[in-house]
Amino acid sequence: MISLTGLNLILPQLIIALAAIIVMLSIAVKRCHRFTNLFTLLSFAAAAISVLYIPRGSFGVSSLFVVDGFGKFFTVLIACAGFVITLMSYHYLNAREKRNEEYYILLLLSSLGALTMVISNHFVSFFLSLEVLSVSLYALIGYLKEEPAGIESGIKYLVLAAVSSSFLLFGIALIYMQTGHLDLSGIAAGLSSSGEFSGVFIAGLAMVIVGIGFKMALVPFHLWTPDIYAGASAPVSAFVATVSKGAVFAFLLRLFYSTGGLENKNVWTVFTIIAVASMLFGNWLALRQQNIKRLLAYSSIGHLGYLMVAFLAITDRGMQAATFYLVVYFTGMLAAFGTVIYMSNKKGEALYIDDYRGLFWKKPWLAAIFTTVMLSLAGIPLTAGFLGKLYLLTAGTEVGIWLLVIVLVVSSGIGLFYYLRVVAVMFAGKNENEASSEPVIGKIFPHGLVLTLLFLLLLWFGVYPSSLLEIIQQIASVIR
Amino acid sequence: MDVFQLLWLIPALPFFSFLILSLSGSKFSRTGVGVFATLSVGISALITLIIGIQFLSSPPAGHFYEQTLWVWFDVAGFKPSIAFYLDPLSLVFTFVVTFVSFLIHWYSIGFMKTEEGHVRFFAYMNLFVFSMLMLVLANNLLLLYLGWEGVGLCSFLLIGFWYKDPYNCYAARKAFIVTRIGDTAMMIGLLMLVKNFNTLDIASILTTAPQTWSPGASQAFWVTILLLGGAVGKSAQLPLQTWLPDAMAGPSPVSALIHAATMVTAGVYLIARTHVLYELAPAVQTLVAIVGAATLLIAGFSAIVQRDIKRVLAYSTISQIGYMFLALGVGAWSAAVFHFMIHAFFKSLLFLSAGVVIIAMHHEHDIFKMGGLRKKMPVVFWTFLFGAGALAAIPLITAGFYSKDEILFFAMASTKGSTWLWLAGFVGAFITSVYTFRMVFVAFFGEQKHDIHYKPGISFKIPLIILGILSLIAGFIELPHTFGHFTPFSDFINTVFPAVQLIPEKEGLELTLQISTAILALFGVFLAWQLYMKRPQMVARFKETGFGKRLNDFLFSGWKFDWLYDTFFVKPFVWLSKIDKSDFVDRIYGGVANLNLYFNKLLSATQNGNVRSYVLGVALGAVIALTIILFL
Repeated sequence: MISLTGLNLILPQLIIALAAIIVMLSIAVKRCHRFTNLFTLLSFAAAAISVLYIPRGSFGVSSLFVVDGFGKFFTVLIACAGFVITLMSYHYLNAREKRNEEYYILLLLSSLGALTMVISNHFVSFFLSLEVLSVSLYALIGYLKEEPAGIESGIKYLVLAAVSSSFLLFGIALIYMQTGHLDLSGIAAGLSSSGEFSGVFIAGLAMVIVGIGFKMALVPFHLWTPDIYAGASAPVSAFVATVSKGAVFAFLLRLFYSTGGLENKNVWTVFTIIAVASMLFGNWLALRQQNIKRLLAYSSIGHLGYLMVAFLAITDRGMQAATFYLVVYFTGMLAAFGTVIYMSNKKGEALYIDDYRGLFWKKPWLAAIFTTVMLSLAGIPLTAGFLGKLYLLTAGTEVGIWLLVIVLVVSSGIGLFYYLRVVAVMFAGKNENEASSEPVIGKIFPHGLVLTLLFLLLLWFGVYPSSLLEIIQQIASVIR
Repeated sequence: MDVFQLLWLIPALPFFSFLILSLSGSKFSRTGVGVFATLSVGISALITLIIGIQFLSSPPAGHFYEQTLWVWFDVAGFKPSIAFYLDPLSLVFTFVVTFVSFLIHWYSIGFMKTEEGHVRFFAYMNLFVFSMLMLVLANNLLLLYLGWEGVGLCSFLLIGFWYKDPYNCYAARKAFIVTRIGDTAMMIGLLMLVKNFNTLDIASILTTAPQTWSPGASQAFWVTILLLGGAVGKSAQLPLQTWLPDAMAGPSPVSALIHAATMVTAGVYLIARTHVLYELAPAVQTLVAIVGAATLLIAGFSAIVQRDIKRVLAYSTISQIGYMFLALGVGAWSAAVFHFMIHAFFKSLLFLSAGVVIIAMHHEHDIFKMGGLRKKMPVVFWTFLFGAGALAAIPLITAGFYSKDEILFFAMASTKGSTWLWLAGFVGAFITSVYTFRMVFVAFFGEQKHDIHYKPGISFKIPLIILGILSLIAGFIELPHTFGHFTPFSDFINTVFPAVQLIPEKEGLELTLQISTAILALFGVFLAWQLYMKRPQMVARFKETGFGKRLNDFLFSGWKFDWLYDTFFVKPFVWLSKIDKSDFVDRIYGGVANLNLYFNKLLSATQNGNVRSYVLGVALGAVIALTIILFL
């Protein structure tokens, strides 16, 4: 049972849960988009700051949650991402929808799911978090009533997520059948006493991999990604690309590192195949893509594949590299979608690469930001993406997982093509059909400011990575 | 406050200015852009001055100051840092770079007044200054390489500044490609250093190298010769000198700043910076001297027959850098740096004055179409004359005399020198004085051939006057033993370098050498007067003889190096690519691209938008995962 004194440990989660209720009640009284947005922003900020009041060390909160440095780090990351997405949503929603306030309830709820997931230490809490996250996402993806594509992709996501959840649930059941435990430490203890992985247990793991792989959009569970990214509104796509994937990845790390599930050779092989396929397929699929949101979807498949390389290294350094890369990936993806939102007009989003033609000549700052984002995603030196990839590579080469390392390098090479294509278009001659891209949603405040901040972060991590790395080094070994 | 802590601002200011100009330069007024860019460099120069004074009055411990901003990354023991290293050598370079750049920026405000793309111009110029400062202030070779590539890029961008003329783009490409050959060599050299020492930190390489390598070690030989490759590329020395005359396609301030005063001396800096390595490889050091001696002669002879005022100056730059290489090669490190400084003053002055003349003559470059400018443009005439005097090393009154004389003495008297090296420099000095005053007499004396309606404004004149004064008096901070023996410059800089080893019996020759050099320089001026003013028909007649014509063509084309490279590298390459029209090698790359496209198409087909097939994907994945896990 939770004693009242333990409540401060889950302060961020409580703040967000409370915020969702308050927003809901406030709508019942009076609708005000500005207030709701501001309140949501403040709640995310408060959630991020409240982490400072959690004492150092690793604490169990009932058997469901564990609050440790690792969980706190991801809590802050998710709260910050939520903050940025809320900021970016304001003008975007204003231009399209009349009733925007419920959007923030959904956003808060699905962030709550992510926040509880990163401190989950138990399959039950994990599954509940996942469902809280997903159910709110179904509605978020189809939020814009005027957009048939959004509703279509919301339903697609619902069907597919249901399928994957059933796999996951069945996998959890199999694991429970074998070990009699649902909490990760219990499972780990059960395993170390028996010493052998039984067939039922690893079959269960395989099912769990299917469920998790779906959420992280790893090949071959990736097929939904482009449709959902393209169909959903850009801020929601950003949420799917970052928060939803990042939270699941955090649990993946926790699950496999604390139970030692990767020590089974076959499990490792499955992950290797998934990683190799994700890196290659993601980048191949993006090659000729003209729709920028689909391009980012494919690119994110590739990036999650890169992350798996560090995950499969099973070392402290691998874990640090993965965490670092995830932060870089968050920053890059948020800035990329932020640019798409900034460029959108009332009629629609700036979906096609051609909408960015000659952007440099019209909006040099925006073009500079987007260029940096693309270069960072591609991994060019002096941006954060380069160092992220460098750390992944060192993590991989250190333990000699050469196949993965080589595929990482090759697929990065393939990836360069489509990232640079976007950059080249921005510097190309001016757009002829000027009218189509004139009225933009982006305003300098707050949208331009956030973009600039993300841009500076990408450069900051690129030239001064130790600022972030030192924090990560403190939390990275806690988990094992 | 410790003023040394301001060090990082010196490169940072021009960089910020570059960022602001390139992203929102169009919002500034026309002069605003120029003034903004100039101020950023000016403040850098001011900070350099303050730091320099502090450095002179109370030098930091060990005569160097290191400012580590942060460590870039730390992987497997290799941790390049973002750090600056200030010692007398880098201080001199920083001073010259910031100060000369400041004057040239100032001058450019007027020069670019009516040009299209002035924002681009100033943004590039600022980026260049930033890169050059990174190059000279870097404490490790990786950061130095960043600056090295940065200046190469800016050089490319600025040579091709007037990109609408295809010739300018050709010149820019040529400069980029030719220097790239050197850069590649340098890159390999750097990688060898990493392999040997697992660091690129300059100070630690210079302290560990003598302990691990004995003099003449083959590793040292290869590293230094590869670094020399980079140096000859950037500094336009044999055999990679061919790009510099064409680089004059850029605007005159660019020629003054990049292709005369600063960037082209990056090679000199690199060798001086890594001088310990060169002392471990005596064979390569001798090669440096030979390269310098040969280059200064070849370029000097070519300069005599050029008609384009900027090409004369370009060849003279190659030749003067040859002198610096000669000094480096004989171990006269401080003499090389001294000549670099003086050369930066007078060469930028000459280019800037030439720029004014060219504008006044409506973009006329040919000196034989000028003539008589002395009376029309007195200020420019006098400043040009000061610069020319320094270039020709007119004895006693010009700075060039003191710096060149020092090099010639060491070429003879150093243990690494020889009579042959001295003789090359000696003959070179004579030629220099001939071609320099040929230019002065033809362009500024005689009859006026064109009208000029243009009066240079004050923003032109002040930088010219400052540089003109420096070209005369800067030499007095290093007076030879025989004349005053006042050597604050070499005393200052010799905390970095070992002293020159002299051959005792040749030490006494100093006065004789000086006097003969002085007489020779004056005789050169006299000869130029005779040949080009008094008896121009003599030269004309000689040119008409078969031999004279051939010689003229040969020298005019820069000893046919372009033809040589064209015949031996470009043409065979073109020939090879012609017989390989359907490109067998390209097939491989095309194949790679096609393979990727094939996979792209194949996979794209799976993205059909049908939920049922997506579910099938998940199910298939599950089956595969289960199969592998359970049955493998």
